[in-house]
Amino acid sequence: MTTVDRREFIKSAAMSAAVAAAAGSTRAFALPVLTAPGVQWNKAPCRFCGTGCHVLVGVEDGRVVGIQGDLKADVNKGLLCVKGYHVGQILYGKDRLTTPLLRKDGRLVPISWEEAIDTVARRVLKDPKGFAMYGSGQWTIPEGCAGNKFMKGGLSSNHLDGNPRLCMSSAVTGFLSTYGVDEPAGVYDDLDQCDVAIMWGNNMAEMHPVVFSRIVDRRSRGEKVTIIDFGTRRTRTTDHADEFLLFKPNSDLAIANGIAHLLVQNNAYDKDFVARHCNFRQLDPEKPDAMQGKPMTFDEYAAALAEYTPERVEQISGVPADKIRLLAALFARRDIRITSLWCMGMNQHTRGTAINCLVHGIHLLSGHFGKPGDAPTSLTGQPSACGTVREVGTLCHLLPGGRLVANEDHRKHAEGFWNLPEGRINPKPGYHTVLLFEKFCTPTDKGGDIHTLWVQVTNPGQSLPNLHKLFKAKKGLEDKFLIVSDVYPTATTELADLVLPSALWVEKNGMYGNSERRTQQWFKMVDPPGQARDDCWQTIAVARRLFDLGFEGMKNKDAEFLFTFKDKGGKPVPVWDWNHYYDINVDEAFFEEYRPFSKLKQKDLAPYAEYARTRGLRWPVVQQPDGSWRETRWRFSEFDDPYVKKGAGTQFYNSVTKDDKALVWFRPWEPPPEGPDADYPYWLCTGRVLEHWHTGSMTRRVPQLHRAMPAAYVEISSTDAARLGVRSGERVALVSRRGRLELPCWIGGRGDCPEGTVFVPFFDESLLINELTLDAHDPFSKQPDYKKCAVRVERVVTTGAAR
Amino acid sequence: MNPTTRRRLTAALPLAWASLAGAGLAGSLILPPPDLDPAPRADPQESRRWVSNPVPRPAPLAPPVLTPDRAAAFSESLEARAGLRAYEGAPPVIPHAIKDLDLRTCRTCHATGLRTGDQLAHAVSHTHLANCTQCHVEAANHQFAPVHDPANSFAGIRPQAAGGFRALSGSPPNIPHTTFMRTNCASCHGPHGYPGLQPDHLDRLNCVQCHALNAEFDQLSPAFNASARENPTGEQRR
Repeated sequence: MTTVDRREFIKSAAMSAAVAAAAGSTRAFALPVLTAPGVQWNKAPCRFCGTGCHVLVGVEDGRVVGIQGDLKADVNKGLLCVKGYHVGQILYGKDRLTTPLLRKDGRLVPISWEEAIDTVARRVLKDPKGFAMYGSGQWTIPEGCAGNKFMKGGLSSNHLDGNPRLCMSSAVTGFLSTYGVDEPAGVYDDLDQCDVAIMWGNNMAEMHPVVFSRIVDRRSRGEKVTIIDFGTRRTRTTDHADEFLLFKPNSDLAIANGIAHLLVQNNAYDKDFVARHCNFRQLDPEKPDAMQGKPMTFDEYAAALAEYTPERVEQISGVPADKIRLLAALFARRDIRITSLWCMGMNQHTRGTAINCLVHGIHLLSGHFGKPGDAPTSLTGQPSACGTVREVGTLCHLLPGGRLVANEDHRKHAEGFWNLPEGRINPKPGYHTVLLFEKFCTPTDKGGDIHTLWVQVTNPGQSLPNLHKLFKAKKGLEDKFLIVSDVYPTATTELADLVLPSALWVEKNGMYGNSERRTQQWFKMVDPPGQARDDCWQTIAVARRLFDLGFEGMKNKDAEFLFTFKDKGGKPVPVWDWNHYYDINVDEAFFEEYRPFSKLKQKDLAPYAEYARTRGLRWPVVQQPDGSWRETRWRFSEFDDPYVKKGAGTQFYNSVTKDDKALVWFRPWEPPPEGPDADYPYWLCTGRVLEHWHTGSMTRRVPQLHRAMPAAYVEISSTDAARLGVRSGERVALVSRRGRLELPCWIGGRGDCPEGTVFVPFFDESLLINELTLDAHDPFSKQPDYKKCAVRVERVVTTGAAR
Repeated sequence: MNPTTRRRLTAALPLAWASLAGAGLAGSLILPPPDLDPAPRADPQESRRWVSNPVPRPAPLAPPVLTPDRAAAFSESLEARAGLRAYEGAPPVIPHAIKDLDLRTCRTCHATGLRTGDQLAHAVSHTHLANCTQCHVEAANHQFAPVHDPANSFAGIRPQAAGGFRALSGSPPNIPHTTFMRTNCASCHGPHGYPGLQPDHLDRLNCVQCHALNAEFDQLSPAFNASARENPTGEQRR
């Protein structure tokens, strides 16, 4: 039955039912129906987090009218979270940006797309070296491909970074340091099979609720799964945990070392696994900035750990020594499966790379690796932080497929795949996010050599740390120009000189890559409002304008336009002209150009059509003799990964040491760069809440989500509140060395802080907590620490109502 | 196979095949019934006795008629349901403050359903799911002053007041919604469900004996999500 026939059938069935009912009685029993005839359902990955749930989007008369969890989706098996169920509403906020806007005399005024594209191109021509792009883990894979090729292949500039620098990059350096290649070896299936799940500073119940449920729902089926929650505050995750281990901020390295120490001291580590698959490593004191470090022997490793006795760890972390022993005893068991999970708690950390390495190290040391349920797994916060940023390589030091701009061979590969003249790609890494914004916000005559910044699909005006320094300082710098492609007005568009209205989610074709290496695809389902257009088109249109203005970099080796896409007849399609953008599937064209990049590090991708057909596939996706494409669940494990040699069991084939072994690192605990003192006696931790995603620019426009969580607040312990003399709902001021913010306090609310710690969510653009946070960052990943800085709390005396 | 079973099967099969054909499925699908042992034939005398039975044949069932009271309760219930949802199919919001989030707290009232005063707590219809606040949020945050809704023009699917699915006048209606996560019909249709959605035959426990689920709502129909299937080569779509 074709779609049309089916619709007609449902209509006529409904009609005959109505007629029949009417004939029988004047007050026929009326029944509600879930879906009106004519609603078309189609699959798409959810727009929000890195879990990668598939939703079914119901469309009627060109508008999204309903959402269902997709029963065919492996990730979510028909379930969604509260954000996912309401994802359809994000398209319909009344203040959608619908026309390009240029700042003239301080006001943003509507202009034509032609003028907008020309304006961007002229800013490039002013000085291509000072033109930078800031992308996103919400970029679709083709959007990232376009941005990467435009900047690195077209402008010969590596000043392209993405916001995953602020959320994922310490996970990346952790994987690279340990396995020589990025991204988790495990998958969500581990959560269905583990006996113990350890949350390392991870509030999964609110941040990744769908995968969290994969763990806790097992208990309803009578299975036993132990959840251990390591945290600096109680959260909704704690409510489901068997053990809650409260630790002092920044002491996680001591805890990890304490567990490793006991495994070694008690001779309880997995000797066979370690002998076959592990080398040991530490930082080189002579070259402390070198991420590769220097080798150490097992005995040296054991000696370095010796000081981390349970009692010493208790002293540093506040976690009772017995609990450290309990953790070590769990890892010592070979009869159970242990999965570690983490996200921002470990990544947004000035020692992010180090703690990532240590957690991998415990799993390797104890052999809890590579069997279903035994995995160290990092989760991502954005829908395509993995797909678009880590895999496509949209960071200032990367090229697609795990390549580096600093590596000559890698540049040659990219020039080959992109058909560029040799030497086009600049060997020098560009500015990472914190440095990029610092350079953009510094006056040109004081060394601020970035004059123009094009931001796509993200909101740095709210999400950067230390906002006064890294974003607001741009105000008043006449020669600096900020271009923002977005769907709603945000804290970033407030300082924008040019605003480009973008298509959102199912208003365009797209592809994402989730936390478990799953590449996903969707088709455009509805039209964007007004003149809003695809971000990918915007990049191509600017490139074409530069080409037309004679800019050499926009030509490939054959002097054709950089983004030349041909139809089936071999005729180039003018995709830079919006009227022709959908004449071909540009996403497919970009993806097929990108696919060959994926082979180098065994991250093989299938053809586009396979993703259109499925609910995503996890790489490496390898073609079988019968022509079908098989995804890989457990990487480096012989029973599942086709790249592992027969008989090897486990093989780390991207090994740093080229001997198929992973690296177990020793990294010492060190005090934090800023901690509570007499002037600023509290720890400030920032984070998210269930209802809002990232900076809230989408979820705060959904009534159900906004009503449930309308504003930011400061979570404070009842003891501290009593000492300050404040009650729940009263306003307090938080003051750090970088800023001051007044907001209501909430005692015993969503979470619960221990004495001496306060927590503030960052979703609320009217209460920008990032004005207070610290821009100190991890030396290897360059990821800032949003979880720890020092503040003082002051009671605000108000005369009116407390609220 | 014992004789009784065989007799029942033989009697039921032609009916089942006939109803398949009647449902408008393609003619090619209609196959002869499977080859079974010939059943014992009915006693012709018995038939005659039935025909000559003096008791009058019952009139065909009329469609249920709503009294004004029931109709009003029905509409009110639909409105109450819809008021808690962004669209038909969305998880309802929690119409009261929540604090302690231990699963057991929710189940205190929502395990079996509860009536207190004029408040009704529906029973959870998906007890295998343990993380209630994953899908259900508070309708309002009681910590903060009431807020203005963000302006949003989303208009979701609404339950329709007319229509529905009945094969024939008097047939039991199909289930007009998905059955995914709705394992306990009594959650909404039972004594602690919506007053206007209660059937007049609550004593019957096997709902799906008469009320068929609808493949279209349960993502089971072969035509469901057909557009993705029809477009495997990634042809452009506008």
